Amino acid sequence: MNTFEIIKTANKNLWRHKLRTFLTVSAIFVGAFTLTMTNGLGDGLRDYIENQVKNIEGNNVLFVRKKFETENKDAPKTDAPAEYKETVQDEAGNMIDPNTVLATLPQMETLIKEIPEIKTITPSYRIDGEYITLDGSKKYQLELGMLSEGVTQKAEAGKTIDGENQIMLPLSLARAFDENIKNLVGKTATIAYKVGQNGEIKTQNLQIVGVATKGFMSNYNSFVDAKTARAIYEDQSRNNQFFNQFGNFTFLLTTGEAKRVGEIKKALDAKGFSAETIADQKKRTYNGIAIFQLGMNLFALVALLAASFGVINTLIIAVMERTKEIGLQKALGMSRGKVFLLFTLEAVLIGFWGAVLGIAAAFGVGQIVNLYAARELFSSFEGFQLLIFLPQSVLIVVALVCGITFVSGVLPALRASRLNPIEALRYE
Amino acid sequence: MLLARGLSKTYESGGNAFTALKNINLKIDAGDCLAIIGKSGSGKSTLMHLLACLDAPSSGEIVFEGKNVAAYTERQKDRFRNEKFGFVFQQFFLNGRDTVLENVTLPLKIRGVSGLESRVKGLRVLDMVGLADKADNRAKDLSGGEKQRVCIARALVGEPKVLFADEPTGNLDSANSEAIENLLFDLNRKHGVAIVIVTHDADLADKCSRVIELRDGEIVAEKISVVEQEVINEYV
Repeated sequence: MNTFEIIKTANKNLWRHKLRTFLTVSAIFVGAFTLTMTNGLGDGLRDYIENQVKNIEGNNVLFVRKKFETENKDAPKTDAPAEYKETVQDEAGNMIDPNTVLATLPQMETLIKEIPEIKTITPSYRIDGEYITLDGSKKYQLELGMLSEGVTQKAEAGKTIDGENQIMLPLSLARAFDENIKNLVGKTATIAYKVGQNGEIKTQNLQIVGVATKGFMSNYNSFVDAKTARAIYEDQSRNNQFFNQFGNFTFLLTTGEAKRVGEIKKALDAKGFSAETIADQKKRTYNGIAIFQLGMNLFALVALLAASFGVINTLIIAVMERTKEIGLQKALGMSRGKVFLLFTLEAVLIGFWGAVLGIAAAFGVGQIVNLYAARELFSSFEGFQLLIFLPQSVLIVVALVCGITFVSGVLPALRASRLNPIEALRYE
Repeated sequence: MLLARGLSKTYESGGNAFTALKNINLKIDAGDCLAIIGKSGSGKSTLMHLLACLDAPSSGEIVFEGKNVAAYTERQKDRFRNEKFGFVFQQFFLNGRDTVLENVTLPLKIRGVSGLESRVKGLRVLDMVGLADKADNRAKDLSGGEKQRVCIARALVGEPKVLFADEPTGNLDSANSEAIENLLFDLNRKHGVAIVIVTHDADLADKCSRVIELRDGEIVAEKISVVEQEVINEYV
């Protein structure tokens, strides 16, 4: 009997008891459906994040912040209230408050003395825009962001920020100004922002250097250069209690070499700062998604595990029912291996049909969920699909389910293959 | 062609040994028609199972065309049975949902013969047993006599050298029994396939050219020419 004949026979045998097979397949179906959905959710998230962050680049950039107290491994793990610590002075004469995660720019800049590779330090300035206009056109509301020195943003037209008094527009805003976004590059836009308690409006002219490719931040934010951001920040926050204190800093290094960057990260860590490269951040995000996905998949695997017992049960009954038939087949010269294969393939086919139906159902439900999610839940997230079914994920589901059902089929198939033909033919 | 030399079979269970066959010597030639008779428990079925390689002897040899097939591996035995032997049992062991032709061509399917070739061969043997017109009927729709004829067709489809029939008429009424017997003898005469019939039916045995009788695992009587017996003794 060749393999094709065995598959054909196994499939035929499978549907002798349609209801029984249908029920067993249904159990697998539930597991395969769940697994496809959880995979789809994870892949959807990953795809979303990937789309958002892939436009921000820079291999010689470190994102630095002061470590939280709890990040100190020596700290006692209790819910005791944190002790207040007196402000201290570092060697450079900066006053350092150990009770806050905020740090001052001068404090950070003393680090440059110890780590010569640090070229510039850009704090994350919080700046609020009011409106933007171009050539006396309509005014549009302005969401302002900053590109730290060393960070580049991919551009649909023009280029990323590389100097002073520059601005990069989000795609939607650029299109509102001119359908042909290339025409905008080099033009001067006027932005406006509020200053002080009374909301006095200040304007500034900036040169449009590029139109940003869509992404997490660049969907809505117009990016300005760090110096422009600094100026706006000073105007807006001079009287703020926390003026010149920042949670996050971007370090531009003179080196992008992985080994040296690693050493710098270590040196910063020893000084109580956590530093991450863009790659680290992406990795952390993807690891988070992978763990989430794994956790979700575990639920689906539990469902599949339960279903696999159904497969074992169904096949043991089938072996008992077909004992005489197996005896005849063996008497007529069917080898042990072929009998084993016949039953394991029957199990795998249960898995296969369950997986195919489960995946098909997941596709169907996925389409509906994505439509609903796009319209109701995530309408502001451009290009977001809640569920994405990648071919490789789907193939993995099929392979995994077939593998699980194969293992389930081993025990009954061994029983069948070990039947003595004489005894099997006498079986009542 | 098929030769049993010093064949013994002992079953052991819980320290008790039961000897089902004792030192059997037997020779079956091409075209023979041999009946093995004896009371139940005499060892006749065991002998057939050993001769047909369905079971392994405790000692002794089974030689087919000069080769000791008892020493074959399981896989070799499977293949050997498939190619050289045909089987007809008291029960039909037909798959009722499958067509008559599908039932008949099962040995060829196991052998790995292509669909078309096995269909041609299947129809030919169905014609031999007079059931060519029922090839596409469901096996469950046939009468008892027809079912046994399908079984004979199934035993013949692989063009075996020996056809083993274990109580082939045990489940049939007298009219059908006679038809099946005639069919078997006819096949033996016309096509030269050796037939080994295990039966307790003395009338059926008498119609065979050779009869051996077993009692307590030993051959107690053999209707066989003296010359042949001498040849065997010499060989053994």
